[in-house]
Amino acid sequence: MAAIESKFSSLTARPLSPHLGIYRFTLTMAMSIAHRITGAGLYLGMLLLAWFLIATSIDAAAFAAFTTFIRSAIGQLVLFGFAWALFHHLLGGVRHFLWDAGYGLDDPQRERLAQATLIGGLALTLIVWAVGYALR
Amino acid sequence: MANLGKTLRTPLSRVRHLGAARLGTEENWLMRVTAVALVPLTIAFVWLALSLLNKDYNGVRAELSRPIPALVLLLFALVGAYHMQLGMRSIILDYARGGAREWALLANACFAAALALACVYAVLRIGFV
Repeated sequence: MAAIESKFSSLTARPLSPHLGIYRFTLTMAMSIAHRITGAGLYLGMLLLAWFLIATSIDAAAFAAFTTFIRSAIGQLVLFGFAWALFHHLLGGVRHFLWDAGYGLDDPQRERLAQATLIGGLALTLIVWAVGYALR
Repeated sequence: MANLGKTLRTPLSRVRHLGAARLGTEENWLMRVTAVALVPLTIAFVWLALSLLNKDYNGVRAELSRPIPALVLLLFALVGAYHMQLGMRSIILDYARGGAREWALLANACFAAALALACVYAVLRIGFV
């Protein structure tokens, strides 16, 4: 009986493949994690879009409540974070598309792509932010 | 067919429950299809959002009542909600175990569906009411 149990537990407690802890930090690894985190952030951030659309569909008072929030310091911070997550995730998606197609997997290219995702995402966010303030 | 003389089990019964059949790559493929669709949709959405910044309530409603902005919002919300549901699904399948996984998958599907329908309802209400 004990032999059966020990055999059973050895089946349930399977060895795990090497995970995050044993690898040296790399930029491609960080961008992979960032892709997932920005995706999860956008998941919640879509509530902003839903709020905006529903408020606009109701009346001017509901619309004003939304614009008051989004123009406040916290609202601007949330919106900036949403914009950055959107552009970072967008560029990360393009990077994954290139990889799926078989391009950019070699040593210098994948590092360049990871850098382009990071810098491009921040640059696009700042550009759109500047355009937004100029238009406002 | 080579084993026909050695066993009475059919080939189907031998492969059942051993892994994905037919639908194994479906989620992976849908994730990529929605991702590609979201590239132009995101650009159009950001463009639209910027165009609304200098408008008041009536101006925003008038803009969102036009066909192209309304379609951009409908497609962005629908494709985006489906894409984010798939993404959160793979996060849940990676990290959640046991009963929590089932509840999380259920909540994820409900949240994405409710978000998509709320956005669609609001856009149609803005355009037609």
